[in-house]
Amino acid sequence: MTLEQLLADTKPALLDIQQRDLTEIAQAKDWQAKYRVLMQLGKKLPAIPEKMKQPELLVKGCESRAWLLHYHDKATDKHYFVLDSEARIVKGLMAIMLCLVNGMTTAELCKFDLWHKFDQLALKPYLSQSRGNGLLAMAERIKACCPAK
Amino acid sequence: MPAFDVQQFRQQFAFFQQQPDWVYLDNAATMHKPQVVIDAVTQFYQQYNSNVHRGAHQLSQQATALFEQARNTVASYINAPHLHEVIFCSGATAALNQIAFGLMHTVLQPGDRILLTQLEHHANIVPWQLHCQRFGVIIDVVPLTPDHQLDMLAYQQLLQLKPKVVSFSHISNVLGHIQQVAEMVALAKAADAITVVDGAQGIVYQQPDMQQLDCDFYVFSGHKLYGPTGIGVLYGKTAQLARLTPIFAGGEMIDTVSFVNTTFNKLPFRLEAGTPNIAGAIGLSAAIDWLQKSNNQQIIQHKSLLLKEFYNGLTAIKGIDILSSSVHNAGIVALNVDSEHPADVAELLNQQKIAVRSGQHCAMPLFSYLARPGAIRCSFAAYNTLDDVNRCLLALEQAVEILTA
Ligand SMILES: Cc1ncc(COP(=O)(O)O)c(C=O)c1O
Repeated sequence: MTLEQLLADTKPALLDIQQRDLTEIAQAKDWQAKYRVLMQLGKKLPAIPEKMKQPELLVKGCESRAWLLHYHDKATDKHYFVLDSEARIVKGLMAIMLCLVNGMTTAELCKFDLWHKFDQLALKPYLSQSRGNGLLAMAERIKACCPAK
Repeated sequence: MPAFDVQQFRQQFAFFQQQPDWVYLDNAATMHKPQVVIDAVTQFYQQYNSNVHRGAHQLSQQATALFEQARNTVASYINAPHLHEVIFCSGATAALNQIAFGLMHTVLQPGDRILLTQLEHHANIVPWQLHCQRFGVIIDVVPLTPDHQLDMLAYQQLLQLKPKVVSFSHISNVLGHIQQVAEMVALAKAADAITVVDGAQGIVYQQPDMQQLDCDFYVFSGHKLYGPTGIGVLYGKTAQLARLTPIFAGGEMIDTVSFVNTTFNKLPFRLEAGTPNIAGAIGLSAAIDWLQKSNNQQIIQHKSLLLKEFYNGLTAIKGIDILSSSVHNAGIVALNVDSEHPADVAELLNQQKIAVRSGQHCAMPLFSYLARPGAIRCSFAAYNTLDDVNRCLLALEQAVEILTA
């Protein structure tokens, strides 16, 4: 599997999550229903092959290991991401976070208040502290993809 | 034997009144404290607070008396022959570090061997490793049998390599298995090895008898025995304690100081540098006094009943991979849901207010041996009820249902 393939498979999956699953999660009545959707998200995304899981891609601060791959298409100035995690909940939450920013231009990404937007999904009451910390680390990692001015 | 009155026991823990919705099954990490322990600590700060062994005033003498009384309580609880053989420290980790550091050079020389086991907590691996690397000491490891018990045959073979030190846990913090400590100590002694027992999980299971067990060192943490955090005990035989180079220096542990030479105070003070955790020692002593009012045989029976219920319930849930054996188990069960990451299972339990630990439980070598990414660990204490067991089982069932949907 090449990076191109990974990106090509991830893009539509993230779009699908944004268009369909986010509403479904928002409308889910109880935690069970929310987690049932969450658990399925990771399955929509391709797995990063073991060989590509380089240590520098590890997102620190997660209980389980998670990897984030970033690709900046210079021609169109758009940012794309690929993610994977050993744990399904983390993978699902990462997918939710990434679908908010995938395909953004540098200008859009830099001014996007990721944590605030994620907060608006009202998932917080359903996350444990450690999961919250992992996601905060993720958000910082994504924001760090903005080129320094 | 009359049955253990768990409700009466549980009522003494304010925590459960404050958090009635939670099922707490993370006792191997730390235990809750009964009111008498909280009161003893508060009372010390409110009424007696002073430093020990140094004040000219009566308040300090009172604090010293309470602190030394705590040493007395611990010594008689573990049946240590002498008071000075009970060293207060911050916990099992600190004690193991002191032993590993303290034996280098005085006992362990380059080329010597020490013997550990596959299922040790990092606190009983890394301090040794750290110093062994610097001193050129070789570490051997006792493997496990297919049912995850220590391989006693291999243990005996490894003893033939004449290790100078053998260090192992009384009870595995991951699997809950109770080791045959008495037999292991006896075999190690017959091979002339110094014996170190990590009693972090053992201390709450059974009152250990130092004179009967006859090990050279036994260590534990107060917080896993209903006591406060930050207090622990390093027990050692006088002759062995005398061989330890202190890891910390300063304060009461010193006899005379000049810039040319320093001479050290006698035991136990030689190994208690700086102001000790006075309130912690008093709290631990209160915990021990309190615990002795209960019948431990009843508690053991109660916990094995909980364990039996739990194992029964687990077999009825599909796709559970149980790592702990149900026999010789002190009340700790490590498990996984087939092909699911333990962090996911733990989170789904957390949603249902079931407190368990997940991950590798500071025992990475054990998990690489077991070839699992980790496990969730349900650890039971005397204050847990059958209701706790059933709620955990229902929550696990719910978790499996969501995971396999
Ligand atoms: C077997 C074992 N040894 C050592 C320790 C370390 O104890 P502490 O963190 O209280 O120093 C633990 C604690 O989890 C343990 O279970």
